[in-house]
Amino acid sequence: MFSLFYGLWKYLFSKMELHVLILGIDKAGKTTLLERMKSVYSNIESLPHDRIVPTVGLNIGRIEVANRKLVFWDLGGQPGLRSIWEKYYEEAHAVVFVVDAACPSKFEDAKSALEKVLRHEDLQGAPLLILANKQDLPQAVSADELARCLDLKKLEERVHMFEAVSAYDGIGIRESAEWLVEVMEKSKRTEMLRARAGAMGQGPA
Amino acid sequence: MGLVFTKLFSSLFGNIYYSFCFVVNLLVILVHFLSDRLQMGEVVSTIPTIGFNVETVQYNNIKFQVWDLGGQTSIRPYWRCYFPNTQAIIYVVDSSDTDRLVIAKEEFHAILEEEELKGAVVLIFANKQDLPGALDDAAVTESLELHKIKNRQWSIFKTSAIKGEGLFEGLDWLSNTLKSGGG
Repeated sequence: MFSLFYGLWKYLFSKMELHVLILGIDKAGKTTLLERMKSVYSNIESLPHDRIVPTVGLNIGRIEVANRKLVFWDLGGQPGLRSIWEKYYEEAHAVVFVVDAACPSKFEDAKSALEKVLRHEDLQGAPLLILANKQDLPQAVSADELARCLDLKKLEERVHMFEAVSAYDGIGIRESAEWLVEVMEKSKRTEMLRARAGAMGQGPA
Repeated sequence: MGLVFTKLFSSLFGNIYYSFCFVVNLLVILVHFLSDRLQMGEVVSTIPTIGFNVETVQYNNIKFQVWDLGGQTSIRPYWRCYFPNTQAIIYVVDSSDTDRLVIAKEEFHAILEEEELKGAVVLIFANKQDLPGALDDAAVTESLELHKIKNRQWSIFKTSAIKGEGLFEGLDWLSNTLKSGGG
């Protein structure tokens, strides 16, 4: 009997879309990351890199990783646009924070933006993936190094990981996506969002 | 004002020939909130669009079929006739008229609710940036409550239709987005 319900739960869960927010300051490579995710996990041809323009709004990527439907929300990172981020927090299952690892002068800005994200109560319990992007550049710092530079307090209480990636040539992309799916499946926040969607009568979306 | 856009569209792209890849039906909704502010320079001749203008223009290998729809209250209900087969919506607002942005917001979200426009990506032109006191893109985003859009791609660009600024950037985004599969 239990296994029947468990099976049903699993089935429902697999049907549910998981929302992942891609955040980060401007020029970190969020849209390139999204395009890379799309090309790795679906047949959609990604945009050539020279065609990617600064985002002023929302880009969406729908991909399937390990039978889970992921919806990526990529938001613009220019200072004036960061006020929009919080409007998307409530429905997000996890957050990806992209940092340009090859540009230490922007770490301070990234750090304060990320700290603000972490403080927001609408994101309580959301797993956090911090990407040290642009590993294709020689001057890029490693994931550990980035963790040291950002020196974030309050991370212990949250499921998180630092990962070195290059959205440009695809290093670390699969690992990142698989980690996200794994932690989102286990996370209390996913359960909470699912219950809320059910309570609102929408059923699993 | 609709005419300014239509003219710009056709003068910018009308004569350029690209081998066309696919046809995109593009819906342009122009909201006319301006009559009193039109008395500037050579665009005095524009009159509010009553009914609609249709143009076929090509840009970045995409053939756009542009419907420029009038924005007065009385004809807004007819917008609906143009919704089927629309892949993109360009919504133009007057960034300098904060009072009417409220109305623009309501109309806009009503349009987004339309079943036939569910898959369409959204491009917003925060127009009239040439006027003093025009809100910037972040402020227009705020007043149009664009953050409520969560199931499709959207983008906002600052434009000045009379100066022709910002239009290319917006159309570049649009053609890229439509080519890579859209929302």
